[in-house]
Amino acid sequence: MKKKVLSMLLASAMALSIVACGQSDGGAATTSTETTGTDATATEQAQPEATAEAESAGSSELTDGKFADTRSITVEIYDRGNDGGSDPENNMYTEYIKKGMLEEHNVEVTFKKVPRWTETEDINNLLAAQEAPDICVTYSYPTVLTYADMGGVIDLKDMIEDYKADTPNLWAWLEDTNMLWDKDPKTGSVWAIEGRRAEQQRIVTFVRQDWLDALNMKAPTTTQEFEDMLVAFRDNADTLLGKDASKMVPFSTSYDIGWRANNIITSFMDPKITDKEYYINGFDDRMVTEPQTKEAVRLLNKWYNDGLMWKDFALYGSGDTTEDDMIKAGYVGAFQHNWDYVFRNGEDSINANLKRNVGEDAKFVAVDCFKNADGKYAKWLYSTAGDRKIFFPTTNDEPLASLLYLDFISKPETIKYLQAGDEGVTHEVLESGAIQIKAAEGDAIQNSGKNIDYTITCNGTYFGDWDLANLSIAYGYAEADPELVDAANKISLADGLEPINVNVGVIEAEAGVGDTLSSKRDQIYDNAVVAAAADFDSVWDSYMSDYLSSGGQAIIDERTAKWAEYFGDADMLP
Amino acid sequence: MSKPVKAQSNQKFGVYMKKYWQLYAMLALPLLYLLIFKYIPMVYVQIAFKKYSLMGSIWTQPLAKNHGFEYFIKAFQNNDFRYALKNTLTLNLLDLIFGFPAPIIFALILNELCFTRYKKVVQTIAYMPHFLSWVIIYSLALQLLAPNAGLVNMVIQNLGGEAIPFLNDEAHWVGSYIGFGIWQNFGWGSIVYLAAIAGINPELYEAASVDGAGRFRKIWHITLPGIKPTIVVLLIMSLGNILGGGFDRPFAFQNNLVMRVADVIATFVYRVGIKGLQFSLTTAVGLFQSVVGVFFLLMANWISRKLGERGIW
Repeated sequence: MKKKVLSMLLASAMALSIVACGQSDGGAATTSTETTGTDATATEQAQPEATAEAESAGSSELTDGKFADTRSITVEIYDRGNDGGSDPENNMYTEYIKKGMLEEHNVEVTFKKVPRWTETEDINNLLAAQEAPDICVTYSYPTVLTYADMGGVIDLKDMIEDYKADTPNLWAWLEDTNMLWDKDPKTGSVWAIEGRRAEQQRIVTFVRQDWLDALNMKAPTTTQEFEDMLVAFRDNADTLLGKDASKMVPFSTSYDIGWRANNIITSFMDPKITDKEYYINGFDDRMVTEPQTKEAVRLLNKWYNDGLMWKDFALYGSGDTTEDDMIKAGYVGAFQHNWDYVFRNGEDSINANLKRNVGEDAKFVAVDCFKNADGKYAKWLYSTAGDRKIFFPTTNDEPLASLLYLDFISKPETIKYLQAGDEGVTHEVLESGAIQIKAAEGDAIQNSGKNIDYTITCNGTYFGDWDLANLSIAYGYAEADPELVDAANKISLADGLEPINVNVGVIEAEAGVGDTLSSKRDQIYDNAVVAAAADFDSVWDSYMSDYLSSGGQAIIDERTAKWAEYFGDADMLP
Repeated sequence: MSKPVKAQSNQKFGVYMKKYWQLYAMLALPLLYLLIFKYIPMVYVQIAFKKYSLMGSIWTQPLAKNHGFEYFIKAFQNNDFRYALKNTLTLNLLDLIFGFPAPIIFALILNELCFTRYKKVVQTIAYMPHFLSWVIIYSLALQLLAPNAGLVNMVIQNLGGEAIPFLNDEAHWVGSYIGFGIWQNFGWGSIVYLAAIAGINPELYEAASVDGAGRFRKIWHITLPGIKPTIVVLLIMSLGNILGGGFDRPFAFQNNLVMRVADVIATFVYRVGIKGLQFSLTTAVGLFQSVVGVFFLLMANWISRKLGERGIW
């Protein structure tokens, strides 16, 4: 009897599940009709339609830049989860944008937050659920391409041209370079618009000035002097740290060696590298496949085995604050990082913490000491073009309103307000006219430096005026000593290498392997650094061969072929 | 069956349901859970055989190459998948060898304790780790075992020893991983055995004492045979899971220095599928994993029945 009841119950569960499955297909079927224009071929057909519509309705949709009826769009905004930050969806700056957009274009803006450090995964989920914001932004172009392949992204190629007259600020700020950076040389597709970088500084080396002073040393100017300094730090741990001597870390890094030892790696690079070689190996911005990188890492390996480096670096993942805490506590002698890293976050900045925790003199200063074969302090800069990728998913029903949004936030006065805020609240104007950023409170707090999360078309100090920006750059950090900022800025630009852009269309081999390869790259670096000196070569080679066979070689081959297709046997770009 | 009997049984069913409907109502919720989160998603298993796109219906998407098996072939050509497969098997086997007996031994030991209060305290403490998430456990592990800042290594170094790379050397890492696994689970896992032990007829022990059996004899001849069916059922279930296993434990414990032994199928699927957007490939991997799991489950069940145990079917 019991069995019978149970089987009935199971049967009814079955029946129910079948019904439910039926419904779920039903659901899927309807969505599919809604989004018929979404597989790859269909998109291309759908585009001209959209353009036709745009042309017929065209600019007539707008009177004085305004829609007749209120439109609404959603915009992605990074959530950095800062302690005591402002609500990314609702603060002084979002209010400014919302108000401006409504007044100027009759468009209602809603912000949708996406966690900064898992942005790719989160945007994936939103796109998959057809709930992505109308304006999406990401640092990862492969993500955009993957969705474009699936028909999930609007091809902007005609739209940006058709609405050019309606978006003068956008074109003026981004220029053809950024607007058409991703234009496919064959099909002409534009899946994303690239933001522009107002600042090019990338990575510098920081050392503890007070430790140098305590040991009567000068700031190092060569690789050898840098090493000698680390040795001196290690050997004088008792003098420098007293009872905390065992916590001494002369040189600190993270699992991301390719970034955090970048000045060293770059100094080993062949200064006469051809554009071709740069392009072929350029898919990895940590240069792991460059031939000389191995020797740079051999040096790190020596330092590691000599006890000059942090032993635990590989155990902490992205976003972990252990290393920062160690630096702030004053246990670290030197490290490499973003040029303004020690100045960021006002009162919680590294230098402000050192001052509080260690003493008035304790501070990190930028130094330049890694010379390449030509005797230059070579270091890579960011390209001024090609920064964050802005794209519209196919679920975006308001492409014009979205373009108007981009136009609005590219206006010089918008950029100025978003970056500088209100006088007296977030900044003061100095006698020279320079803008001094000061620590803000509540709603006025900028969660990202220069509010770059809102100025998605502009990354870095601009204030709507280049002269003002240059004048103000040293004053851009609350609580930081302008002289130190200025010095770091100058060092970060000295002997800078300008990246090149080679647009030969999509490299098929790069699709879907980006994440795998970058995690494998970190494994090469990390394992090689901690290897016993005698095993260094075998460890490097074995991890490298795994990297190459997991897709690295395929990319190199395809890039080599594409280069030959477009530039023949030339070594440099025409 | 003749008609009157059926009518009678229908009537009985009515009476039965009237009496027990509340229990079935309570069952409905978990069943609904299974339905929504386990059965309905199975529709999407077909992603493994299709050139999948997030946009549009899966029903209309074209089959992948090689009669739909493109992604299975790709998976087996993938270095990382082969590593992940090997690591999943190794780690799960080690877990089985060292982790499976631990709760049994613990239950036996607890059962022999005669101070009830002490026993209860020990039991409670042993259950606690089960309620910690792996992220927390990994943070604890870092605080204790990191080569530079870990407490254990600081002690070792202060005593003049060399730091032991518990978490940053492949062999040591496997040991730590298995060790923390056992630590987290042995207390909780012992509950089921303690319950089984409680069900053993005390007269058996009394009889054994009369016959002059000591503690170990009693454990060997009464307690262990008494909980054997429970052991077998749990063993079958662990074998069914030999290619499975959770995501959080390996994911929390992984670092770049040990990925060659630490990357398992679950983390591979996350990295390549969710982060790398290769949905078809990783669904194929997931399907393969499940099919092998079912195979192991059936085989273990079959063997246990052959050996005269009840099995789970």
